[in-house]
Amino acid sequence: MLRDLLSHSALSEDDRQAVRDLPTRLRKLDPGSYLIREGDVPTHCSVLVSGFAIRLKVTGEGSRQIMAVCIPGDAIDFQNLFLGISDHAIQILTRSVIADIPREPLQELLFKRPAISAAVIHSTLIEASILREWVVNVGRRDARARVAHILCEFAVRLEARELATGEGFELPMTQEQLADATGLTSVHVNRVLKSLETEGLISRRRRYIQFTDWRALQNIGDFSRRYLHMADHDVITQTY
Amino acid sequence: MNEQHPLGPLVRRWSRHSSLTPSDRDAIIALPYVRKTFAKDAYMVREGQRTHECSLLLRGFAYRQKLLSNGSRQIISIHIPTEFVDLQNGILGVADHSVQSLDRCEAAIIPRDALLEIAARRPALRMAMWIDTLIHASIFREWVVNVGRRDARTRVAHLLCELVVRLERIGMGRDGMVDFPLTQEQLADCTGLTAVHTNRTLQSLRKDGLIQLNARSLTVLDWERMREVADFDELYLHQEI
Repeated sequence: MLRDLLSHSALSEDDRQAVRDLPTRLRKLDPGSYLIREGDVPTHCSVLVSGFAIRLKVTGEGSRQIMAVCIPGDAIDFQNLFLGISDHAIQILTRSVIADIPREPLQELLFKRPAISAAVIHSTLIEASILREWVVNVGRRDARARVAHILCEFAVRLEARELATGEGFELPMTQEQLADATGLTSVHVNRVLKSLETEGLISRRRRYIQFTDWRALQNIGDFSRRYLHMADHDVITQTY
Repeated sequence: MNEQHPLGPLVRRWSRHSSLTPSDRDAIIALPYVRKTFAKDAYMVREGQRTHECSLLLRGFAYRQKLLSNGSRQIISIHIPTEFVDLQNGILGVADHSVQSLDRCEAAIIPRDALLEIAARRPALRMAMWIDTLIHASIFREWVVNVGRRDARTRVAHLLCELVVRLERIGMGRDGMVDFPLTQEQLADCTGLTAVHTNRTLQSLRKDGLIQLNARSLTVLDWERMREVADFDELYLHQEI
């Protein structure tokens, strides 16, 4: 988490130590388990230490939409400090370690230390920016572009946290989950992945996706990393 | 004084979700700002622009949008008075999308540094800004669901419900009737549909006696049924805070 905050914000050693000193309790969670369900009243805020998780909602008709994929280092429900009831569920994708932080010390930290709370707000804003891009992705891109876009995004986010090399990454999602993230059917996702592979843009070994033509994949996915607001793109990150 | 002051509505809205001291409230009122009027369809922020200001909507409506390389457009959110249309640009630096006025609107343009300064000095205001951001993130999540997994009729109905509830919350609607600023084309760009499909959907909602929609106003006639058709649960708007 500290690394995520430092990726866009300058924090003093004192602030860093305050983050390290937060009381945390580590838990292991298995794939498929829920960290929180829609409508629950949360008692903790958590950080994903390792593993992957998804934010999801189920519509009245029973279909699932994944709205975000959380990667290691993400704060997963700091919103619960203020928003009383969880408006979506968080489900664990792969064997994960979660650090639970009790609300009060976190709240106190954010109240007392402007630089830390500015950094946390910054992370929230980036998360919101990614959500906007997802609205665009499912709203106006065709199936091929949607899938290519999500692969590009995932790769860039993982690389920024040094969790993947530029060559490829292990996709922590099934084709069905990929479908739920892109508003498609899993059959359709399967077909798109195959065609991306046939055209020489990616190659796959089980769930490992290797980029064989990164530039072309970005073009197909209509992908530009501006919305990820990475430090090397935006210079205005030390304003606080 | 707050009652008449252009930033008074912001004080009132933030006071609903955050406990502000009188001096926090005074600090908001003391923010430097310039009032600016935008004609219909004017750009308030352009994608890629570096901004040093944040715009608080005082009157009228605005929307955030992104243009795709294939020329199509997706509207990402609608903004109503008392909301910042671009708080994130002040912090993230580069605008990752454009903001346009939906009708003639008026905004208070506040220098970014002034906002960052009150945020740095006043924890309650910092938290209020964060809560705004969190609520908007929640609305974006719901929009992902809306365009991702709902059928056309449900999508359009859902968007209409959201607008009515948000406008009623700031006192801009009564008995289910609100100002409605969107054209059918814009409604289509909000929901990822074609204008023709949107038109057909609106007709069907009208025919079923759920809504009344004139050039400028929308009335939900049967809120219970509309809510059901729209798969609408306002939990994501976090009205409780």
